[in-house]
Amino acid sequence: MEIPTKIGLEILSEVGRISNSTMEVDTILIRTIDIIKNKLNIDACALYLVEGSPATPRLILKASSGFPADSASKIDLPWGKGITGWVAQHKLPQALSEAMQDPRFIYFPEIEEERFQSMLSVPMVYQDDCLGVINVHSIQNRFFDPMEVTLLKTICEQIVGCIRNALEFEKSQLMLRQQTFLYEISQAVQAEPTLEKRLWLLLIGIILGEGKGCHRAALFMLDDHQTRLKGTIGVGPDTDQEAQALWTDWVTPEQQEEFPHPHEKKTFAGLRKSAFHRAIQDIEFPYLQGNNVLADALFLETPQIVDTADELSNVPEELKRFTGVKAFVVLPLIAHDIPFGVILIDNRFTDTPIRSTNLQLFIRLATQASWVIENLRLFTKLIESNRELLTTKEQLIQSEKLAALGELSAEVAHEIKNPLVSIGGFARRLQGKLSRLKNSAPPPDLASLSQYADIIVSEVEGLEELLKNILLLPKGNKPSLRLGHLPALIHQVLDCFEMELREASIKVHLDFEKDPGPLSFDEEQIKQVLINVVFNAIESMPQGGVLDIHTSIQESGEGTSGAMIVVKDNGGGIDQETFQNIFNPFFTTKDTGTGLGLSICRRIMENHGGKILVKNNVNQGVTVQLVLPLQIGGLSNKT
Amino acid sequence: MGSETAQKKILVVDDETNIRLLYKEELEDEGYKVLLAENAEEARQQIEKEPPDLVTLDIKMPGMDGLEFLNQVKKKYPDLPVILCSAYGSYKQDFRVWSSDAYVVKSADLRELKLMIREVLGF
Repeated sequence: MEIPTKIGLEILSEVGRISNSTMEVDTILIRTIDIIKNKLNIDACALYLVEGSPATPRLILKASSGFPADSASKIDLPWGKGITGWVAQHKLPQALSEAMQDPRFIYFPEIEEERFQSMLSVPMVYQDDCLGVINVHSIQNRFFDPMEVTLLKTICEQIVGCIRNALEFEKSQLMLRQQTFLYEISQAVQAEPTLEKRLWLLLIGIILGEGKGCHRAALFMLDDHQTRLKGTIGVGPDTDQEAQALWTDWVTPEQQEEFPHPHEKKTFAGLRKSAFHRAIQDIEFPYLQGNNVLADALFLETPQIVDTADELSNVPEELKRFTGVKAFVVLPLIAHDIPFGVILIDNRFTDTPIRSTNLQLFIRLATQASWVIENLRLFTKLIESNRELLTTKEQLIQSEKLAALGELSAEVAHEIKNPLVSIGGFARRLQGKLSRLKNSAPPPDLASLSQYADIIVSEVEGLEELLKNILLLPKGNKPSLRLGHLPALIHQVLDCFEMELREASIKVHLDFEKDPGPLSFDEEQIKQVLINVVFNAIESMPQGGVLDIHTSIQESGEGTSGAMIVVKDNGGGIDQETFQNIFNPFFTTKDTGTGLGLSICRRIMENHGGKILVKNNVNQGVTVQLVLPLQIGGLSNKT
Repeated sequence: MGSETAQKKILVVDDETNIRLLYKEELEDEGYKVLLAENAEEARQQIEKEPPDLVTLDIKMPGMDGLEFLNQVKKKYPDLPVILCSAYGSYKQDFRVWSSDAYVVKSADLRELKLMIREVLGF
């Protein structure tokens, strides 16, 4: 049936005015309802739009007139359900005088539907897609004549293009906003140096991404053993203003131009004080599939959208108590197939589901958070392996040095050894002959001659000892192990230094309370180490001091333990440069020294399967720890 | 000193003149008769000319080294005792050393060498 031209033109003109004046969907809907109310004699009008995924579309009441205030947002109709759902599904208008008698009718108390007798329901179809439905209701039982039906159909046909354009525009606007938002968040995150601050920012981003603040986001991190999900960060501002303040303080980049180093000014102290953040620190859940929704998000590698927490078996009581809401979303944080944790988001005050448009944004933010964590993890790993490489390199250089030194010293030692043997050998012969001469006829000069011979003999002995040490250094002579007592050995060594200790008035403090008992070691070699260490200690205290030597038993994590000799002086320590070189062969600060002392010591300790640790406290003193394993080369050292 | 060792002849093989002299004097004081050679070739001739009761042999020498010479000596005169003398202790690990009768690290103090000689000769 034809509509009267006048009304038809009026409708066209008014719809044209709407589309020219605004692109806001809400405004368009309200104006549409106004037009309908002006053109039709009705008591209420409702406008539904199709939302949700194409697989499960729903009809949401978007605008209405004639219903109780605030009722509109509550109506949410599954596809095909009710008269409205049927109209949307079949794309056919329905005029019903007695709507409540219709078998398709679903009663909505929110809009006090019992007041209305008759209804007319018309689909809004755009290019064969139903975008929504317009319903008109009258309180009086009435008949909608074909002209009225056609009129409403015309309005729907005219308005649907306008609505579609507005929806598309809104969608692109939203995407643009989200892009800008993501960009700003990324910028802010990258400017933060620490992982913690970056995560804080991302959580702030999430709660602000919802548009109107007052939402909460909580981060649960998986522990190192991958057994628990622990509450780590919680962001939940109390008011809109607080939420906005977070944004301007942390994310918007304008202030960076005012302050060259804005990050130095910022701390998260205020955020850490929030009750929500503190509460979340005490919460943790096991990382087991099926145990809780947090773990499930990680195991299933998909966001978990919870609308009715009460009805789900994988929402533990503790989580319900903690959030106090029915609807929330759990986003998994996964990068490179490694699970890191989850982010839980809810709408604290409204307890409404997280809107699907924002969900996409949150998933993107969660992805970004995952990569932030992963990048930092990789970066840390990189630094670690780099450090290991450097250490290995140093060790390599060290052993190369030792090898070169080994060759050189073997050569030198051999060249020196033979002349030394003859010098020393003839000195001994001289010594013997002189002493026999002295006995038969003692002229006074012979006494000094024999003293000279003594000196040559003793000097050669010393040199031979030195050569033995040099030869010991590169070859790594295997220690010949015999059972011995450390305290006895220490006493022997101290006896050698009796004079030096007295001259420098150094007090010796011994403590063998924790004696490891009889041990297998090469007495000569360990004695050499002790002589070196004690000699260094004495030299560091020319003005006197305390030499502290004690033994102890070292317990390590694996239960194997070692015996330890600790030699401590208070000679003021070593300067840092020297300290770095103490184990370098031929490095010495002494006028008379080969610099071989500590490198030999280290070699000896390593050959025993032990180690030497030197702690340098500048301005205080040096502590040397000599660690011997209780077990050497399968030979039990434990008694 | 002297009487029991008087007849025993010791061949000292060493490339260092002074060492040879030192050994000669020290061992003669002990009552041995001492023969000298400064390399393997000389030592071989010396053994053929006047077979000794014992040889002290330096390892590191120009030309044929002590260990190779030891091998030759032991092949030709399996019963001739040889004491290896070296500036190093490290040769002790070399299996070629095993065919010698003793190994002494050179030192200005010759007591160890003298002791070994007595032991090897069976005094």
